[in-house]
Amino acid sequence: MRLGLILRLAWRDWRSGELGLLLAALLVAVGSVTAVSLLVDRLQQALISESAEFLAADRYIGSGREIPDEFRQAARDLGLDVADTLSFPSMVFASDERNQLASVKAVSPGYPLRGTLIVADAPFGRGRPTGALPEPGEVWLDSRLIPALDVSLGDTVEVGLAELRVAGVLISEPDRGGSAFDFGPRVLMRLADVPATEVVQPGSRLSYRLLLRGDDDTLETLRESLTLEPNFVWRGIRDSSQSIGAALERAESFLLLGGLLGVLLAGVAVALSAHRYAHRHYDHVAILKTLGATPNQVLRAFLILLSVVGAVAVALGLALGSALHVGIVAVLAEIVPVSLPMPSARPFLLGAATGFICALAFALPPLLHLHRISPMRVIRRDLGGAPPSQILSYAAAAAGSLGLLLWYSNSLWLTLWTLAGSGAVLLAFAAMALLLLRGGRVLGMQAGSGWRLALAGLQRRRRENVAQILIFGLAIMLLLILLLLRTSLLDEWQNQVPEDAPNHFLINVTPDQVDAVEALLGEVTQRMGELYPMVRGRILAVNGVDADTLESQRRGRGVDDGDGPRLSSERNLTWMDALPPDNRLVAGAWWAEDDPGTWVSLEAEYAEERGLGVGDVVRFDIAGRQVEAEVANLRRVNWESMRPNFFIIFSPGVLEDYPATYMTSFHLDRDQKPFLNRLLSRFPTITVLEVDAVIRQVQSIIARVTQAVELVLALVIAAGCLVLIASIQASRDARMHEHALIRTLGGTRRLIAGSLAAEFALLGLFAGIVAVVGAEVTVAVLQSQVFELSMALHPWLWVAGPLVGALLILTVGLLGTRRLVSTPPMLVLRGLN
Amino acid sequence: MSEPVIRVRGVNKVVPTAEGQLTILEGIDLEINAGETVAVVGASGSGKTTLLGILAGLDLPSSGTVTLVGQDITSLDEEARARLRGEHVGFVFQTFQLLASLTALENVMLPAELHHEADAGDQARALLEKVGLGRRMGHYPRQLSGGEQQRVAIARAFASRPHVLFADEPTGNLDTTTGARIIDLLFELNEEYATTLVLVTHDERLAARCQRVIEIDAGRIRG
Repeated sequence: MRLGLILRLAWRDWRSGELGLLLAALLVAVGSVTAVSLLVDRLQQALISESAEFLAADRYIGSGREIPDEFRQAARDLGLDVADTLSFPSMVFASDERNQLASVKAVSPGYPLRGTLIVADAPFGRGRPTGALPEPGEVWLDSRLIPALDVSLGDTVEVGLAELRVAGVLISEPDRGGSAFDFGPRVLMRLADVPATEVVQPGSRLSYRLLLRGDDDTLETLRESLTLEPNFVWRGIRDSSQSIGAALERAESFLLLGGLLGVLLAGVAVALSAHRYAHRHYDHVAILKTLGATPNQVLRAFLILLSVVGAVAVALGLALGSALHVGIVAVLAEIVPVSLPMPSARPFLLGAATGFICALAFALPPLLHLHRISPMRVIRRDLGGAPPSQILSYAAAAAGSLGLLLWYSNSLWLTLWTLAGSGAVLLAFAAMALLLLRGGRVLGMQAGSGWRLALAGLQRRRRENVAQILIFGLAIMLLLILLLLRTSLLDEWQNQVPEDAPNHFLINVTPDQVDAVEALLGEVTQRMGELYPMVRGRILAVNGVDADTLESQRRGRGVDDGDGPRLSSERNLTWMDALPPDNRLVAGAWWAEDDPGTWVSLEAEYAEERGLGVGDVVRFDIAGRQVEAEVANLRRVNWESMRPNFFIIFSPGVLEDYPATYMTSFHLDRDQKPFLNRLLSRFPTITVLEVDAVIRQVQSIIARVTQAVELVLALVIAAGCLVLIASIQASRDARMHEHALIRTLGGTRRLIAGSLAAEFALLGLFAGIVAVVGAEVTVAVLQSQVFELSMALHPWLWVAGPLVGALLILTVGLLGTRRLVSTPPMLVLRGLN
Repeated sequence: MSEPVIRVRGVNKVVPTAEGQLTILEGIDLEINAGETVAVVGASGSGKTTLLGILAGLDLPSSGTVTLVGQDITSLDEEARARLRGEHVGFVFQTFQLLASLTALENVMLPAELHHEADAGDQARALLEKVGLGRRMGHYPRQLSGGEQQRVAIARAFASRPHVLFADEPTGNLDTTTGARIIDLLFELNEEYATTLVLVTHDERLAARCQRVIEIDAGRIRG
């Protein structure tokens, strides 16, 4: 057959609507994959760049020592943008002898590489973003330093030996986050002014950072080209902020999974519609063969046809996907003003490949079978209608899915898991579907005529119905999985930083200030935590071995102490009679309230990194006196709770006699911020830590991720509905014929409509039951293995799943078979429909 | 006497069934000459349709040989048999077997298009005029009556100028009057194109119009 004839036949097929469903399925496959991956691609870029603001850079090299100039040069040679920061604690003096310990950050021009500085003209005022930095000879002070030092704009403060003019109030800088207790009030100055301060001396606590900005590949190249000694650490957003990193990774996994499931669903829809197309062309091929078309010609014709349909679907699908994506972004922009970076080429390549792979893996096998149809079929209908090779179909579908998933996820592990899971689920589903159908028949014996007809129909076409329950069940299961994961992911994220989480900390409250501070806070906020006593102390020895010795031994063995302070650093100690909220015991036991012993409880990670365990005897130096305590237990702390938490907690009765200061946390709304002025003017020695900006940043990222997740879910649901429609269409011809027969035998339209409705409802019910079982198992596995969330069953699902299944299939089924009930039976029986 | 266009020697057709081997045709020998009109008659299930399929090269016998226009089709593969059908054979079926997605004209054009003939459209139009459907060329099969559909099928059968025309119960789905008209048309065209006609039928009047009647009974030729 010549190309022209094949194209004419294809066109005639299209005109008569035969190709419509196949094209639609391919179109949705390409369109949804393109839209999802465009969205994921751009959101990922946006999320990463937004998250990069936490570092004020894409990556940084940090060290306690000066960053060698060759690092800076190497980065510049690769075309990366660089900036330097140096942070150190220092006393800041005002003219009238007031002074405060501050955390100074000196920066080079270009800082920050990501995010913006927010400044204001008055302390605790509403800030505005700025692209500027303090001029040489100037400083910007944190709001709380202004009342504490009793200075105003234009006054001079001393940092070390340098006199610097106060030129602005610093509300926030992007990389302020990190350990909440390490930062004092910020002083921002120029790096060029640091030598004049003369504070940089051997032994000073200095933190140098070389900030880097550029694309991932270049940054990786730089990382590989540098030989970083252990003193220099390389950091990105993922390793610098645990909670953000984890949220990002989960979101990516989810979006990825959503995309994967979308592809699989579309693949199923393609396979179903191709099977239907092939089935409807058995006669067509047989006639062509009697007219002299050879098997090779037929094969070639359908290959070309599929390529043409594939190409059209890809072209239209890419356009549809882009349009869909643009629409989604437009909707998104109304809720949150977003400026997304331009997409890369990958989503389009992925969309196109999806189209062709779907065509090859899911649509080709049934079409391949067509060239083997016997021409005898024209006179003996029962001939040549054998189903296409199932092994070929399944093998091609499995290979196609594997290829697509692999490329889409870049993860063999996730791909194999998804496929193995789907395979096991399918087998289990088939067994369950058979059981349900059997059970249904027994019940049907006592049922009314519509139901009996429906159940008899279900039982008679058992093979097809098991397949349909599988497909419906799979589609519903995938939707349920996404829904469940979405819910638990969102809950988890929202719980991480609740709306009214404390966003300010007070430290250095003296015992005689406690009552007055509590009263003052009570005037503005109801949401205030307990006041905890704190005593400063440090570890001298563990089990009789000197702490410094221990530490050098551990370093000698190459054990990483993590980023935290050294074992012998001074720390805040407190005492409690009960395990604090947000803490969970992981080893040992909490002490009894009246236990007279000297016990200590350690944060688990802190203890692990320093080689401490339950039963170790730790000697402390507290205010010049030595105290020995045995480690009673280890705790995990939820740092994201934003409440005061402690690495080291003593049992009661040990620390009470030592001089303590108190700390607490509280929530302050944005418009209540000026209250801090009042507080600090009255109690200048108290230190306020503002973490509200950090919390707002975390919340905005979580909100963005949530939106992305919801949009992907909507797209996958659309693909799922298409599968349902394709599946109902696929069984339409057989049903139509059967019902026409029943009508000629005197069945009323009502009986037919009733039995159809019953059949779809039952199919949906069975599929729903099957789907709930599958979804519970899969979600349990995914939650524990991929997302690292806790597992839980969902009782409501066991009611909702089957009900929703029945309703969904009933609706889609009745819509899809409207004509079936109204078509005159004669037309159907004469094959003229 | 002209040369036989169909020669059948010792043809048997056995098919496997759940109850064991079922013999449908047994020891069939026959010859049909060029230009001859032959009716194959017999009761339902006697094997006449199977014989037609084998004569036309749509199916293969279990043993024996069939020669069609000088070629032993039992030694050809499906590819070669399809080409042979395309060049020498036309069909008319009881159920018309038109392609539903094609118009009457497109259905009739198909054989010529498969042969890459340039004037497929003109030939088809001429044939449709001849069968009296000049005004219904753009109609789809579902828009035509049974008689009209069979006339389209007849036009399509002659479009490839076949040497042999096989007809399987051509009036089986039509009322008596329409059937009679279809038969007239079939014989008219057959004469005009000097085609060999082999038809399977129950209709005694139709069989009577043929030069020869072959009766099949339980898979064997009677008499």
